[in-house]
Amino acid sequence: METQSYTPVPPGVGMEENFLSLDDILLSHERLPCRTESAFPRLGFLEKSADTRDIPEGTKMEMPLWLAKGLYERKRRTLSVDPPKTYRQGWRTVLGADPNVVDLHKMGPYFYGMGSQLLHFDSPENAEIAQTVLQTFIGRFRRTMDASQNALDADTSALVAPLDALERALFRAGQAGLAAYQRWEGGASGRIEASGLVVNYRKRKLGELQA
Amino acid sequence: MSDALSEASDLSGDDSQDVMTPTELIAKLEEAWLNEKFSPELLKNKSEIVECVMEQLTHMEENLQRVRKGDVKASIHRMEIDRIRFVLSSYLRSRLQKIEKFFPHVLEKEKSRAEGDPSFLSPEEFAFAKEYMANTETYLKAVALRHMPPNLQTIDMLKAVPEPCLDSFVFLRVKERQENILVEPETDEQREYVVDLEEGSQHLMRYRTIAPLVASGAVQLI
Amino acid sequence: MFCEKAIELVRELHRMGDGQLPAFNEDGIRQVLEEMKALYQQNQSDVNEAKSEGRSELIPTIKFRHCCLCRNQRCIAAYLYDRLLRIRALRWEYGSVLPTAIRFHMCAEEVEWFNQYKKSLATYMRSLGGEEGLDITQDVKPPKSLYIEVRCLKDHGEFEIDDGTVILLKKNSQHFLPRWKCEQLIRQGVLEHVIS
Repeated sequence: METQSYTPVPPGVGMEENFLSLDDILLSHERLPCRTESAFPRLGFLEKSADTRDIPEGTKMEMPLWLAKGLYERKRRTLSVDPPKTYRQGWRTVLGADPNVVDLHKMGPYFYGMGSQLLHFDSPENAEIAQTVLQTFIGRFRRTMDASQNALDADTSALVAPLDALERALFRAGQAGLAAYQRWEGGASGRIEASGLVVNYRKRKLGELQA
Repeated sequence: MSDALSEASDLSGDDSQDVMTPTELIAKLEEAWLNEKFSPELLKNKSEIVECVMEQLTHMEENLQRVRKGDVKASIHRMEIDRIRFVLSSYLRSRLQKIEKFFPHVLEKEKSRAEGDPSFLSPEEFAFAKEYMANTETYLKAVALRHMPPNLQTIDMLKAVPEPCLDSFVFLRVKERQENILVEPETDEQREYVVDLEEGSQHLMRYRTIAPLVASGAVQLI
Repeated sequence: MFCEKAIELVRELHRMGDGQLPAFNEDGIRQVLEEMKALYQQNQSDVNEAKSEGRSELIPTIKFRHCCLCRNQRCIAAYLYDRLLRIRALRWEYGSVLPTAIRFHMCAEEVEWFNQYKKSLATYMRSLGGEEGLDITQDVKPPKSLYIEVRCLKDHGEFEIDDGTVILLKKNSQHFLPRWKCEQLIRQGVLEHVIS
């Protein structure tokens, strides 16, 4: 469907990040367990547990993905990164048994995005992480798709709650498609409508008046 | 749409090359429109078609002025005009939208185009794209970048703005039979393989695989 | 941690996923720029020290701060660019004159960008075909009929249709008008398309 309304910069595909994507910026704000492999002089104040002037070598601390990616180098080690526990053996077994019972929103909310990003860091578990992320997506896709196609005008919050950000986007796309189809079937697609923004601004104005 | 159109004749104008009937012209416009709507990247401009259709519309409007008020024919013609104008506007909108979405890449492609190769952009679109780029860069600079440390005052828009995703899947109908189209594997277990595309058959494929066929007109996106 | 202010800017826009334009966060931007200035100065002095006194152990710290600088730059750029996408959509949905409430949310440079965008678009549309060009911001839906039934949602005043007739658009009045003349008024919320 043709739309001239606001469409944000989409997140990158696979291991890529899009520089201007708000989603990717939020994804890369997620924290990872790291261990410093060199000292970081004069940055001790960032580490709350210690009140030294420096961050010494061997400190375990959580860092956002963007920082870990920026500092990580294969040749000159300043940092090592561990996969978060939701990507380790225990959870991989759970996800392998039945991916549909897991609340990926709680575990994520960027479960697939983060899983793909972890592959930037060397780890003996990378192959298995990639496999789990892929199989989890495949295992849950059908349910996500079915849910989006069978819940018109219903309260979808319970369906959406356990979905990760990528699945939510798919769910929304499915719902939009379904709604457009229904409108076409009902012969209402030719109706010219007020822009979504107009309607929203008016609602807000009303809210301000009542407040 | 052919009926109202045929009243406004001679649209091929001065050049002696192939003469297009109004019906053919509108069919070409619809073809270009659907391809542009469904392809992830900007396609080659079809300025000749746009110009012809615009002339045609003007012609039809003029004819309409001559028809008596209240004539049933008038409202049918008006409807025809509205429909053609919708397709034309929608086509040009899709193009402009892609130009805005991918402006650094569109301009880069234009820059690296070999002398003599036809441009992807019409002169007007090219002007628009350049202005859009300049306007956006000026804006980012004025609000924030110029206040940043010297080494961070520029942003490479080519890297910052995402490229069109050529791996998106598209629906297509085959207009001319194709043999030995190489299809990339989707999973590690698969190998690449070749398919023949029969005339009139419909497929769902990666845009990247069939992009040259869209350009040559051998397939139609649907 | 550094870059906390910058992520707040991004969150603020991300929360409004439907394309609304929140007020330009001048203060937020200023705070990020200040943090960048401080990071840059610390790095400069550490770089000098590393060079003149051969203190190479400072390098990881310098790199750390540099990452934070880049991150701040990215967040600001994404914030500003996303706002432009929202402002661009306004041109297509409202037309070229924006309601004051929205203009109020834009900074001076955004207004400037919007005006320039309008100009580029107008130049482009004028260049299409004959003397008048073609307004491609109209005809957003395939036409089904020439005339449509519309209801007036607010007093709009006089309105001239094709053949020169002038009608008065009064609140709650209903009219049968040429579709392509009233498309924009419908999108602005002045008229409502009635389908019986």
